[in-house]
Parts: sequence; structure tokens; C-alpha cells
Amino acid sequence: MESIIRRRAAAYVCRSCTRQSQRKLLQQQQQQQRQQRTYSSAAPRPDIYDVVCVGGGPAGLSLLAALRSNPVTSHLRIALVEAQDLSKTKSWALPPTQFSNRCSSLTPSSALFLDKMGAWAHLDRARVQPYHEMQVWDGVTDARIEFDWARDAITPAGARIGTHQQIIAYMTENLNLTSGLLKRLDQLGGVAVFDSAKVEHISFGAESETEDGPDLREWPVVHLAGGAQLSARLLVGADGANSPVRAFAGIEARGWDYGRHGVVATLELEGHADSWENQTKVAYQRFLPTGPVAMLPMPGNHATLVWSTTPENAALLKSLSPTDFIAMVNAAFRLSVTDLAFMHSPACTSQADEYAWRLGHTSSPSNHKALPQPATAVQPGTVASFPLKMRHADTYIGERVALVGDAAHTIHPLAGQGLNQGQGDVQSLVRTIEFAVGHGQDLGVRMSLEPYLAERYAANHVLLGVCDKIHKLYSVENGPLVGVRSLGLSAVNGLGGLKRFIMGRAAGGVGV
Amino acid sequence: MRPSLRQTPTLLRRAAAARNACLATTTTIEASAPATRWQSSSSNNTTPPHNTPPQPHPNSSSVNAAEISHFNALAATWWDAHGSSRALHLMNPLRHDFINACRSSSPTSSSTTTAPPSDPKLRYLDIGCGGGIFAESATRLPTTLSVTAVDPSTTILAVARAHARKDPALTPQKLQYINASIETLPQDQFDVVSLFEVIEHVDQPADFLDRAEAFVKPGGWLVLSTIARTWTSWFTTNLVAEDIVGIVPKGTHDWYKYINEHEMRAHFEGRSVRRLGITFLGFSGWCRCIGMVLGLYDIGRNSNGGCWMAFITHYYQSTKAYTYRAARYATLT
Repeated sequence: MESIIRRRAAAYVCRSCTRQSQRKLLQQQQQQQRQQRTYSSAAPRPDIYDVVCVGGGPAGLSLLAALRSNPVTSHLRIALVEAQDLSKTKSWALPPTQFSNRCSSLTPSSALFLDKMGAWAHLDRARVQPYHEMQVWDGVTDARIEFDWARDAITPAGARIGTHQQIIAYMTENLNLTSGLLKRLDQLGGVAVFDSAKVEHISFGAESETEDGPDLREWPVVHLAGGAQLSARLLVGADGANSPVRAFAGIEARGWDYGRHGVVATLELEGHADSWENQTKVAYQRFLPTGPVAMLPMPGNHATLVWSTTPENAALLKSLSPTDFIAMVNAAFRLSVTDLAFMHSPACTSQADEYAWRLGHTSSPSNHKALPQPATAVQPGTVASFPLKMRHADTYIGERVALVGDAAHTIHPLAGQGLNQGQGDVQSLVRTIEFAVGHGQDLGVRMSLEPYLAERYAANHVLLGVCDKIHKLYSVENGPLVGVRSLGLSAVNGLGGLKRFIMGRAAGGVGV
Repeated sequence: MRPSLRQTPTLLRRAAAARNACLATTTTIEASAPATRWQSSSSNNTTPPHNTPPQPHPNSSSVNAAEISHFNALAATWWDAHGSSRALHLMNPLRHDFINACRSSSPTSSSTTTAPPSDPKLRYLDIGCGGGIFAESATRLPTTLSVTAVDPSTTILAVARAHARKDPALTPQKLQYINASIETLPQDQFDVVSLFEVIEHVDQPADFLDRAEAFVKPGGWLVLSTIARTWTSWFTTNLVAEDIVGIVPKGTHDWYKYINEHEMRAHFEGRSVRRLGITFLGFSGWCRCIGMVLGLYDIGRNSNGGCWMAFITHYYQSTKAYTYRAARYATLT
């Protein structure tokens, strides 16, 4: 239920290119060294930082804002390295009726964390949509589970931050979040920002020639295009799924590709925008054998779509006319699996006509909240797709290296936990750094970072595993498993206590 | 007769010799030595130690040649956080918590944990600094002015100095290593004098403590930690750590040199002594140590290690094996 398009390695340098450029650089360096020896020029004085964060996505920016706003860690010397132009992100603005297709669901615990570091207030709150209810059902059997805080939870309503209990999650455009974090960082100041900066390579520092001088042979040095060199007491890899920092640390990320793509789009729903005022919103997710399809509420009559499906179906969806695309989206939540399969086949010439005809022969549920409002339009240019995969790094720490967010793990988007896992990582890493600083430890060494690994590895592992198993469970179209999973879903729906527990997990989920 | 801490070295040597001779004689020693002999009582202690000028000892009260050669052999692995000194690395944050607790309890410097900028920065003297685990960490604290770290072993100091170079924040102005024993150290006064895991390796603990006292500024703190002489400590630090699991090299600890709380308290008679039962070598500590030995703890090298981590809990369980003590020198001038 999350439509993050991952910050791709391409934003930096892909691995094979890194290797090539490293080889080239090595040659250049050797040449330079030869020249240096000839002219006996002194080595540049190392530019030393306590924390160098590579990657200015939600995880990296949260880390810096949290470190800067914490009185124990605010004196640290911090640098941010980002490939993109951050001034563009900071000044990001869209008309109130247009929404970016890259959205995330922020759990209340992530929102609280953002609030604590002072970033929540900098988000454009008119573009943030909380939801209080979830409808999840099995596309094959229609077994259903309803999550509704108003009915299932004990706490009264009240939709402001601080009393999160009744909110399942906040739908936020990723750009709204990063832009808010950047504004908060601006306000805090004290971060050396290197944006539009390409990481050429990462190496180790040198030993000073004087006897008392520092010995930085174990310190990572980030070399930027343009010649800047940043020595890092702690190098944080918040640099996405193909993390160059992870490659530098020699940490493997293992996992598999799902053979599925996530199709995202911004939808407009039936009904005038004003009629949505003061309505609590519902998130919908239907498990189809090809993967889950989710419609998540955005402000007004808008919603964001995340449809996990086969690469072929994704390609078809992207090629359809807006009318046919909308018909497919509505069909995905309403028609039978067989009907849908036909609509994806080449035999189907007009999805819109086919949908209209088939809908007439499908019974609709009596509960008006059981299905999302029909989509009426798709915002131009918002249909996109990205491959889905599961990855988990062998470890999150090395000597003077820590990985957070997608650099450490990539999760199936079906539970909307990707960004929240990253926020959980950051929260834990900040706590770890705070403890190290408060006790005079060198915050970069493995010994100091161990609590971060201990706190997050198992928790993330469980969540990755659960989402992976759910994906696999619902990929089954027939056989005894289908009956069992439906029975399980209906049973959970009937058991209030268990349901509240699951809702609590989904809402505060990152802590697991 | 009930001997004081001053008289223990003789007993120590006798007991250690007996232990070395034959383990079977332990029972004899127990009968004659521990229970009553180790108890010192203040009524018998007619001359409080701090009033007695330290007796110049021909071989110096603190330095034991065998101990030095033993620690020289350990020097190379001192900073290996997964090596035999791991316990020291793990307990180091607790030392700072303890010092903070001590300092915030003094009426003269009430709020030291938060350290308002008006507070003068602290000068530390770390005696028996070893590889500098505590000295380095004390230097990094924003409340620290400078740290003087002393050790009689040149081999270990070389390790300490080489390691300090790895962090540019540890400038020679802030952190100074001196190769000296407490007898040869130039007289000076410090806010905090620390003796962490040192007293159990010293031959003449009473003389040693008297000398250390002289370095404490009026109102300052002498902070020390050591292992108490209990069955738990024998079982954990000697039997399990050295003999069975082997995480600590044999001969690191001599159980007969351990000092119990009441002995220490008697020695510091007349001063405000604070004691904190530190809960270090409890369940968590040992789980980590055992995990480390079995290769479970180091997830970095074991991709399946994550599962094991779940079993390693992070609370400290109380045990009497480990105690921290500090004496405050409010009245001493």
C-alpha cells in the first residue's frame, strides 16, 4: 500500500559503472600520486565530519534532522551528500488538485517521530490524508477483514497529532515529506549540504606523516565529483536499494525479485471534492492472484493507486487510454478474477465497454463502504511502474558504516511499511548515536553501533518475512490453501482482540 | 586478629601460593582465610588509612612484574571489541553513568549530567589506563577539559597511543598518556581520579589507595571498580571465563586479590563513600560473551545471525559479582 518509487542506484552510479570509474580513478590517482611525488605537494588536509550521510531521501533527511534537533548530538559535525538538486525538492509545489504518484503511508509512530524532530509542522498538511479504516479482502473468495478504529478501538476520535490512536496511517506524497524535512533542516542549520553531487568513489583515509597527527586509515573518505573529500567518523548509507555505501562496506544484500511490478497512478474519484469534507477515509486492498491492488485515500476526491501485477499486465496498463485504464482500475476492485483475466488478454479490445457489460452481471456487496468509490479519471502523466523485490542486507553496520532504509532492506509494498521501516531504523540509529556520544564512545566504531543492529535487524527481518509470506499466500489461485486463508481472514475479522493487535501493529508497526 | 585492607597482601600471597600449589588445599584456606580474615573492622582500625603517610615500598606498592608481563601479552587485542577485553568495552558506559551519578549527588556540583556551560570542565586522572578504553571515552565527553592516563607498561601505552591517533578528536592536548606508576607520577590534583579494574591487580592495595587519594582535588571523586570476592565472581571470572570458555586468558584474574565491599568501606572510613551495585556480569553480559565465542553474536559475518540476536536481551541483571565504588573528598585538603 505504498507507492514509493525507490531511489534508484541510477541516481548515483550503478555498480558496474562504479567499478569502471573506480578503475579509471585509480589510474588517475596513481598518476596524480606520481605527479605529487615529483612536485612534492602536501596531501590536502582531510575535511573531517562526525556523520556523513549519503542520500537525501526520507531516511537520510530524517536522520540529519533528528541528530540536529537532539541536544546531545546537535554539536556533531554533519554532512549530507545528495545526487539531486535539493533546492528543487525544497521548493516543490503542486496545485491543490494535483498529487504526485509517489506516496507513502506514514504510521502514527513515524509521524510522532517526525513531530519530535520538528519536521511534521513543515509538511503541507492540506496534502496529508489520514485514514481510519481499512478494507482488505480476498479476490478469489471475497473473505474480508475490516479494520475500523471507530468501531474496533476503545479510544475516542480526535484527528490531531499526539492522539494517533484512532488513525491507521497518514497518506503523504514523498515529496511533501522530503520537502518538509529539508525546510526543517534549513531551520536547524549546521549541516554541510553537498547536493547535485556525484559520489565518484569511497576510499579509506591516510595516516598523517607527523607522529602525533591523526591516523585515518580506517576512516571512509567520500570523494565527490569536483574534488571535495569528506572524511567520515560514521558514513551512513541512506542511498537506496543499490547503495554504493553498502558496496563500499562489502555488505551483501540478499533476496529475490517477485516478478511483479507495482503500477502507481493518481486517481480522481466519483463525487464532488467538497462532498468528501469531514468524511473519515478508508484504505482498500484486494488480493488478486497476480498481486494486491490498493486504493489509498488522498485529500478531497483523490486517491493513489498501487497495483502489484505481472510485468506484462503492468505494460498493458501503462499503454491503455485513460478511459480504459480507469475501467481496469474499477474492474480490479469489483469484477471476478476470471473477468479480470479476460480484460487483460489481447482478446479484449475495449476495456471500458467490457467493464460496463461485465459489471452489470456482477453482484455488488450490500455495505456501501465495502468497495472504493468508482474512479472517474486518472491524472495525466501519473501512471508509472517499478519492479518489486525483497532484499535484506547481511548486516546494517560495519566499522564506521551504518545502513538505513532501502540501503538495508527492500520490502513488498503490500503492507505500506517500507518508508516506516526506514523511519524505525533512523529512530534507532539516532538513539544509538546519542548513547555513544553521551558516554564518550566513538560513535562510528562497530562496538558503538551494535545496539542499532540488535534493535532493528530482527524486527525488520520479521516484517520482511511476514509481507513476503502474505504475498506468496495470496498468489495461490486454487486448492486447499485458498479455503484455509479465507477461513483465517474471516476468523481474524471475528476476533476483536486479535484484530486490534494487528491494527496496532500496522499503525505503530515499525517497532514490531 | 582481624586484619585491615593494609594487611591483606600477605594473606593474598599466602592464599595465592596455596591455590597454585594445589587446588585441593582450597578447603583449608577457606577454613582459615576468607570468612573471618577478610573482614576488617573499623574498631580495630585505629589509624585510619588516610592519616597514615604511605610507606615507601622498595618495589613500589602498585606495580607487579608478573601482572605487567601478563597485560603486555594482552596488548595486541586490547581494542578488539570481540576479543578478550570485550567485557571492558561493554562495561565502559556504566562507568560514566556511575561517575555522573556520583557527581550529581554532590551538593557542590549539583547538576553535572546536564552540564550547564557555566560548569568548569573536568580534569581526569585514569590510573592503570591500559589500552585507554576509559581514558579515550572520558576525553570525548563535552564536559571534559583533559585526561591524564597513566600505566606502568610501555607496551600497553604504545597500543593506547596508537589507538588514540585513530580519532582526531583525541588531541595530545586533551589526552595525555604517561608511562609511570603511581609512585613516580608528578603530584597534581584532579576532579576525578579513576581506578577501573585496577585494584585487583595491585600487590599493596591499601598503600596504593592512599597514594591515589593524594591526587584527588578537594571536592573531587576517587572512583573505582573491581570484582568482589564472591562465589559468583569465582564462578564467572575465574572458572567460566578463564578455565572453561577461555574468553579471558588464564591468569588475568587472581580471585584471592579481589576485595570485598566492606573491606573497601573500612579503608575509606571517615569519608563519604558511595557504592553502586553494578549489574554488569549478569545474564545479558554472559549471553553476549557466550554468543561471541560461539560466533553467534557477530552478525556481520553470519547472515543468519539475526535470528540469534532475538535471544540476546538487553537488560542488566543484578549480581553481586561486580561493584563500583567511589569516595568523595569533600573535607580533605
